[in-house]
Amino acid sequence: MYTSLNWLKDFVKIPAKIKPSILAEELTNHTVEVESLINSAEQFNKVVVGKVLEVTKHPNADRLRLTVVDVKKTKLNIVCGAPNVAPGQLVAVALIGAVLPNGLEIKPAEIRGEKSEGMICAEDELGLGKNHEGILVLKEGAKIGEPFAKYLKAEDVVLEIDNKSLSNRPDLLNHYGLARETAAILNLPLKPYEKFFHKNWEFLGAKESKLEIKVEDTELCPRYQAVKVENIKVEESPAWLKERLISINQRPINNIVDLTNYVMFDCGQPMHAFDGDKVKKIVVRRAAENEMMETLDEKERVLSSADLIISDGRKAIALAGVMGGHDSEITADTTSLLLEAANFAAASVRRTSQKLGLRTEASVRFEKSLDPNLTSGALFRFLTLLKEICPKLKIASALIDINNVNPEKITIDLDLGWLANKIGQEISRSEAINILKRLGFELLSDDSNLLRVLVPSWRATKDISSKEDLAEEILRLYGYNNIASRLPVLALSLPEVNEERKLERKIKNILAWKYSLNEAYNYSFVGEEQLKKLNIDFFNYLKLANPLSDLQSMLRQSLASGLLGNVKINQSKSDDFGFFEIGSVFFNAPGNFPKDAGREETLPYQEKHLGLVLAGEGDLFGRLKGLINNLLRTLTNYEAETEFSILENPVGWADDRVSAKITIFGQDIGLVALVGPEVNTKLNLKKKTALAELNFKLLANLVLGLARFRFRETSKYPPVMRDLAFVVEEKILYNDLKEEIANFNPLIKSVELFDVYAGDKLADNRKSLAFHIVYLSEERTLTAAEVDQIQEKLVARLAEKFEAQLRNF
Amino acid sequence: MKTKLQKIREEFLLKLSLAKDRDYLRELELKYLSRKGELSEIMRGIKDLNGELKKEAGELANNIKAEISAKFEETRRTLEAHSGKNKAVDVSLPGEKITSGHLNPITLVQNELEDLFISLGFMILDGPELESDYYNFTALNIPPTHPARDMQDTFYIDYKNKDGQYDLLMRTQTSPMQIRAMQKYGAPLKALIPGRCFRNEATDARHEHTFYQVEGLLVDKNINFANLKSFLEIVGQRLFGANTKLRMRPKFFPFVEPGNNGEYTCFLCQGKGCRVCKNTGWLEIVGAGLIHPEVLRAGGIDPEIYSGLAFGFGLNRLAMLKYNINDVRLFNSGDLKFLEQF
Repeated sequence: MYTSLNWLKDFVKIPAKIKPSILAEELTNHTVEVESLINSAEQFNKVVVGKVLEVTKHPNADRLRLTVVDVKKTKLNIVCGAPNVAPGQLVAVALIGAVLPNGLEIKPAEIRGEKSEGMICAEDELGLGKNHEGILVLKEGAKIGEPFAKYLKAEDVVLEIDNKSLSNRPDLLNHYGLARETAAILNLPLKPYEKFFHKNWEFLGAKESKLEIKVEDTELCPRYQAVKVENIKVEESPAWLKERLISINQRPINNIVDLTNYVMFDCGQPMHAFDGDKVKKIVVRRAAENEMMETLDEKERVLSSADLIISDGRKAIALAGVMGGHDSEITADTTSLLLEAANFAAASVRRTSQKLGLRTEASVRFEKSLDPNLTSGALFRFLTLLKEICPKLKIASALIDINNVNPEKITIDLDLGWLANKIGQEISRSEAINILKRLGFELLSDDSNLLRVLVPSWRATKDISSKEDLAEEILRLYGYNNIASRLPVLALSLPEVNEERKLERKIKNILAWKYSLNEAYNYSFVGEEQLKKLNIDFFNYLKLANPLSDLQSMLRQSLASGLLGNVKINQSKSDDFGFFEIGSVFFNAPGNFPKDAGREETLPYQEKHLGLVLAGEGDLFGRLKGLINNLLRTLTNYEAETEFSILENPVGWADDRVSAKITIFGQDIGLVALVGPEVNTKLNLKKKTALAELNFKLLANLVLGLARFRFRETSKYPPVMRDLAFVVEEKILYNDLKEEIANFNPLIKSVELFDVYAGDKLADNRKSLAFHIVYLSEERTLTAAEVDQIQEKLVARLAEKFEAQLRNF
Repeated sequence: MKTKLQKIREEFLLKLSLAKDRDYLRELELKYLSRKGELSEIMRGIKDLNGELKKEAGELANNIKAEISAKFEETRRTLEAHSGKNKAVDVSLPGEKITSGHLNPITLVQNELEDLFISLGFMILDGPELESDYYNFTALNIPPTHPARDMQDTFYIDYKNKDGQYDLLMRTQTSPMQIRAMQKYGAPLKALIPGRCFRNEATDARHEHTFYQVEGLLVDKNINFANLKSFLEIVGQRLFGANTKLRMRPKFFPFVEPGNNGEYTCFLCQGKGCRVCKNTGWLEIVGAGLIHPEVLRAGGIDPEIYSGLAFGFGLNRLAMLKYNINDVRLFNSGDLKFLEQF
């Protein structure tokens, strides 16, 4: 929000030593964040007052003129298109290098063969109005060569206040409110708002009202004030009014609209002026279902019974607290006004404004809960100013005030002992009282350490309701930075260790530092197009109600899509690389976390997965399996044997010949596969890619559930190692062969595959698997004969079960 | 047998002392040390001896073999070092190429924070990224009409409850875990919650719809504002250095009262003013406050007995400041050129 310093000074006299920067600092330290200070003269940088000396016709263009303009230091040749330019005029000249408020940058130019060294400005180019019919002619007495800002007396400083920091302070969305806060912070006197309007208008005596006003929903409209005025003339606003609005980035429109805006920025109360000839009657009611109205912005709106409207008895003429209607709008011919200053319920204004996507200065204020006491001051202030602008103004009705505001006031008991405890530092009684009074709080009783405090109406709508709120008020004015810091003294306790998180970190470190994988953070959202390319069925995916784009419209159930994306964007930059990610996936099924306190319902199921991807050349499937096996063995103190077996339901993106289920300790925890050629093409992947996805939750349960690791003494007796190669049919699985050998005899301690061969030296459809088989006894030295005997039986068994033949080299 | 062994030893050592070149050495090696050499032959013979004799001879043979092998190697090294024929070794050649992997910088910063708070006795907690409206907003004293609930800020799940409302969403902050932690552990409580959060806004160099926060909370008896302040001070000092100063300003967060932001002296310019701190000398890093009594109540904790402090950091911002990263989108980009630097 833009705030004019000159405007603030209407209400509080700020001493000269408080420079704008200091004021900004004080406001930021105690109330709201001032984001920047804008010196209003700066927008007219390189715009000066000039005098037109000569005007001649442009030789090559009928509509253009050549002028010579005196800007004191020099005389400039300027090509001008305005019909009203004439010698002797004092004008605003934008010099080369000026950037005008409308964004236009002035450069040296040649227009139809004639040089132009600047521009004579029209009103709209200077941001001072809409007029572009001719150049702006300045008043007599303007000094040639003087900065235009000085001529305009644009010596204001504008404070830009962060809107977010105002979200709980509806009382500060205007100059009087900020002046009040400034006065409180700097301990300065504040002029009462009553000083800025006359209360004695003729309607106060008027017995008869020509206005028929009815409020049907007093909950959504607690207060409605209105009055009718006549003999007004709609025209351009006077200079002071335009300047004020321009200073805070508001565009002047006409005197009536400008004045309603002015009053809103002055005291915070949005107002609306209906054309008095078109609106004879007011009914404040909820809209009918599908009722239509055309708003000021000339858009048709479809309403529902949740929306509060102002009607003229027949049709809607305004969306209460949001925007007026097109039909009852002020026009150049308007001579009478029906003025509205009302209070509308925050929630309903907010709902309507949100539903229609219509955020206005009025709705922004109402949706924060405005003080219902504002309406009458605003109305009087409006009339006072209107009388200055339209001196013939006549009041044409009584002042209507339909007031259903709850008269109950908020009082809070504040125990100063409690306050000291809350702050951690004593704040003296007098200091606390002083601060509260400066902020407009009234002390109902102060005869002990228990203060009974009355909350001022402008803070009582939502903002302040508890002693904690009062503590903040006292603390922020006292100054957060004036509190001495002190560490809490707490009883020692042993915190619960998050073993899962520790495991996660360990896995990340191993993957990055041992296997040279890179950690990806991919989005939780996926899109239809991508999933289709991966042949993944997404009918059961959770969807976003309001996605940013179709590419991110659903919640991922797998990390595959993201990791393949990582491969794609890096494939041209690196030869061989890999990524991993540990991230959440989401399912359309009941989960473990309760949804609400004390209710049965739970959040959708979500769990963490570990995804791994390798891209490059060679046997990536084998490499990735090796990596996974090594990882799982490392995590389980070398107890786990990772089993890879045929995946019954291959995933869509996988080459189903090269897909395996991953099992440890008898539990399936994931899958590993080569990306299928068809998917590779669809995704435009240039490299061979292997991907694995493990259920991190299951893995964590297995790893963390392991019995405590103990060192095992090694056997005192020497092992006997035999190398055997078996030739089997291709379809025989390593897993089955290996299991058979490992479980064949208790003296067989380990079985390790060291070679796989299929080729010329073997028959078709046959492969050779070579194993190191280690025999070991814990009790004695094994003899060769003993081992030979076992081996003989083993060979026979494998021949019988797998038709395995011992290979002779 | 023993004498034979001793004799071989003497003979070998004598011949070795005469060694002048590599050919001579090779001959020596063949004659005595190779598998078909004299020593091996004798050692094969030991097999056939009996009992004590076998043991003694075996031990001696092994000792002698070790001794003369070592001396042989030593002589060979000396000879080679002095040999002019040997090719030069380019010691400046690089070693074998070993690649490394890299952690995401968010992980690095998060680990650092977790370690700091573990050292202060905090629990590290995880929570659901897909949250309910109740935990993300209502329980945190954010009533249904608060602007933070605007559709443009929150990703809602396309699933309406019985009242026809969207009440599932992607959490917009880690704060819902305040309530879940209080409900699970009660008071006193010290917890740190890092995690992924979401806001429905278009991404550019400064905005990301998926980002990371760390939430901290401490609930105990008599926790006050002076405690909050000193707490934020030590956090700043740990993160940015011992001389780091804290400045606090009021800031509105519905779930704390009073609420504040915390700014630290810019660690790049030590508070003198630079581009990063926009010449203010300060960096806004943390949002904090004393936990609102309504929030304690929602967590099942009696605000008349306990009070608490809470604070939150944006991990993306911390990482951007710490590593001078200028585009927030890089964290989720999966770009190796980015990750490789960490």
